[in-house]
Amino acid sequence: MVTGRRLDLLDPYEVAQLGGIELGARGVVEGFLAGLHRSPFRGFSVEFAEHRHYQPGDELRYLDWKILARADKLFVKQYEEETNLRAMIVLDVSRSMDWAGRERTLTKLEYAKRLVAALSLVLLRQRDATGLIGFDEEVRKVVRARARHQHWWQLLSALVELKAGRGTVAEPALHKVTDLLTRRGLVVFVSDLLLDQRMAMLALQYLRHRGHQVTVFHIMDPAELSIEGPPEARFEDPETGEGIVARPRELRGVYEDTVRKSVARWEAACRRGGIDYHHVLTDTPFGYVLRRASARRARLG
Amino acid sequence: MIGFLQPLALVGLVLGAIPPLLHLLGRRRPPTVVFPAIQYLTATEREHSRRLKLRNLLLMLLRVAVIVLLVLAAARPVIRVGGGSSHPPTSLGLVLDNSLSSSAVVAGQRTLDVLKERARAVIEQATEDDRLWLVLADAIPQRVSRVDALALIDSIGAWPVRLDLGEAGRVAARVVSEAGLPHEEVVVLSDLQASALSAGEAPDVPILVLEPPPPPGNLGVDSAIADPLIWSPGGAVVASLGGLGEDPRAVQLLLRDRAVARAVGVAGDQIVLTGRGLGGGWTRAAVQLDPDELRADDQWWLSVRLGNPAAIHVEPGAGRFVQEAVRVLVQGGLAEEGDGVTVTDRLFAGVTVLLPPSDRSLVGATNRALESRGVSTRFGDLLEGEWVLEGGVGPIAGIPVYRRHRLRGNGSVLATVAGEPWLVRDGDVIAVGSRLEDTWTALPVSAAFVPFLDFLLNRAAATQTWIVRGTPGVMVPIPSPVATIDLPAGSMPIPADRRIVGPMATGVYFLLSETGDTVGALEVNHDPRESRLVPATRAQTRAAFGSQSAILSERAFERELFGGARRADLAGVLLVAALLAALAELGIATFLGARGAE
Repeated sequence: MVTGRRLDLLDPYEVAQLGGIELGARGVVEGFLAGLHRSPFRGFSVEFAEHRHYQPGDELRYLDWKILARADKLFVKQYEEETNLRAMIVLDVSRSMDWAGRERTLTKLEYAKRLVAALSLVLLRQRDATGLIGFDEEVRKVVRARARHQHWWQLLSALVELKAGRGTVAEPALHKVTDLLTRRGLVVFVSDLLLDQRMAMLALQYLRHRGHQVTVFHIMDPAELSIEGPPEARFEDPETGEGIVARPRELRGVYEDTVRKSVARWEAACRRGGIDYHHVLTDTPFGYVLRRASARRARLG
Repeated sequence: MIGFLQPLALVGLVLGAIPPLLHLLGRRRPPTVVFPAIQYLTATEREHSRRLKLRNLLLMLLRVAVIVLLVLAAARPVIRVGGGSSHPPTSLGLVLDNSLSSSAVVAGQRTLDVLKERARAVIEQATEDDRLWLVLADAIPQRVSRVDALALIDSIGAWPVRLDLGEAGRVAARVVSEAGLPHEEVVVLSDLQASALSAGEAPDVPILVLEPPPPPGNLGVDSAIADPLIWSPGGAVVASLGGLGEDPRAVQLLLRDRAVARAVGVAGDQIVLTGRGLGGGWTRAAVQLDPDELRADDQWWLSVRLGNPAAIHVEPGAGRFVQEAVRVLVQGGLAEEGDGVTVTDRLFAGVTVLLPPSDRSLVGATNRALESRGVSTRFGDLLEGEWVLEGGVGPIAGIPVYRRHRLRGNGSVLATVAGEPWLVRDGDVIAVGSRLEDTWTALPVSAAFVPFLDFLLNRAAATQTWIVRGTPGVMVPIPSPVATIDLPAGSMPIPADRRIVGPMATGVYFLLSETGDTVGALEVNHDPRESRLVPATRAQTRAAFGSQSAILSERAFERELFGGARRADLAGVLLVAALLAALAELGIATFLGARGAE
């Protein structure tokens, strides 16, 4: 039973079993925010804009004590700078994302959708304008960034509509971001990174060059860390249909080595480019991912 | 040079194809697995394919090597080490077959002489550190020095005995294996008769058999028996011929070294040679073939007893049919009137043919007289019916019998009626179950009656004789009436256990009673199996001497002699190599796999 427990710390598959993306994302965000002492992704400026209801995790120093004394209600003061952040989440919906290594786990795409939903909810609760781009070989879906609370439903609707496509070409989607984010903002790139690393890094670095903060969530199924299967098998790429005959027992060691090196290369490349990189396995509770990402952002300023 | 003790095992080398075949079969239509991270797999394959191919090739070669090494080890490869005439101390058993068959002449040379020459060569290669045993046709191993062995080999000739070569080889192997020296070997020099190679438990000692020369055609006398045993005065000898070859050969019967009958025969024939004796008493006879390459089996010794016509006295109670028939025998010179044999229905002294009393009331008195004389035969119930005579006493078989007494006792049965004794001899009394009258049996009115009486009076009633047959060097039992045996060196008393060793010279040796009368003869002849010169096959040789034996040509024999001492068995090395290969395979399969995981 998961009743009464923090959803952000549960196994993602168990969270998914509770209901649709919306319900899971809300639960995750509630749990996530409850464990924080301050808002995760944004600071507070001096130019007052409006009041809003206190949310768990809001710093107490921004409570409006007067309203509390008068009306016995918890309101925090929100400032103009908070709404200046515009975030675009770029989600990879290629065929390779639609894969799970074993039963009772989420596919990478299902996991990524839930992570995006939770992340966008967190951003929108901070009144950050949040948009979404779904892509495979081309841009499949674009939701412009909005800061309205109801905008989350649009994002959810877009996420639900997005189905697994075919190949993976990230550059058009990342270039699309430059059209949509005219001011400096936040770009969140969610993908299994089974794509051309050099081209993708060029596009990401371009975004960084344009002044955007870039965060990469590298989604990976735990079963991709190693290679299992019959003594000899033809391993087929779901995107291209191309295959390779291999013996898992013989290749397992060197394959794991190759994966480790590839992840390390991504991480190093991102670090060099000032890009926030997160390697996320699909059995990692969403709360851990959000917390790690928020902590990193806090450090990066 | 490498040889194999179990070359048939090399067939197993085809098993070396199993790993490649399994590899090829395993490559068929592998299952498809959808795997999105194939770019990692492709990169892995690209970076490590050469190393993996090398590793797989190495594993395949090691697996094939393990199988091949195991098969080669099973084939027991041996390799000669060292060289020259030197060799480590060796226990050597030399079987020199000087049995009767070794006296055969092949290509103008006696087989035994060839074997002796080879034996000398073997002994001369031996060193002072070797231990030598010499096994001759008596199959008794003799521990000999080099000098003694050479002297012994020079002195021996062909013995008229049979050698069980298989047993001789195994005995030699047992002896050398118990000597305690590190190397053992048995050398067999023989004409390798198939009939001499008995199968037995395979010895664990290498046995080198020199390939024998091709055998000559040979015809021998397998047996000869006088028929009847006592001639009066004539008779026959039935001789069997055996051996190889289809050429007819002359065969003759010798009585006192005089040819009395001739015939021609081939192998497998049974020849009847008839003759007439001169004088009386025991006569030495022989059936002799014209000589061939193996002379020792061309003669068969036998004894013939020449007897005078029986002196017959017929009592009136014997009946008129008997009286008439005896008169015919006397007129024909086959019997004389006298007191030698009495035909009567009352018991008399001396040799008696006893008929049932005509008066049934006298049967009891007759039985009591038999008892008092120590004869076990008794006249029993009088039976009436119709039966026929059975048995081989003259041409009487099938003749009806209407009345007869049951005969009881322990005597030897000469003829039967309805399976019951009818004509019984016990000591010097021959009892007849029926009176020889036409109301008792149809025999008196049949044509067989006179020959029957001739047999009864001249042969059955004559004094018993003892013929003992034996072969040289083999123990023979001697019957109890015999007190001494007449040997060329003089009379020899019969030992208490009544067994003597057959004299080594074939011939006829007469047996004497305590009174000095000749009561029989010991006929000593060759074993007919020695006449069969067909050499053994390699399979028969292996069955007799085991898998470590080999029939070798002259050159191979020379090469392999003392080879056991200079030959190393590679099976152990190959097994170790197979083990190392298996460990290497295991190490590469696991260690290199683990390396890949690092």
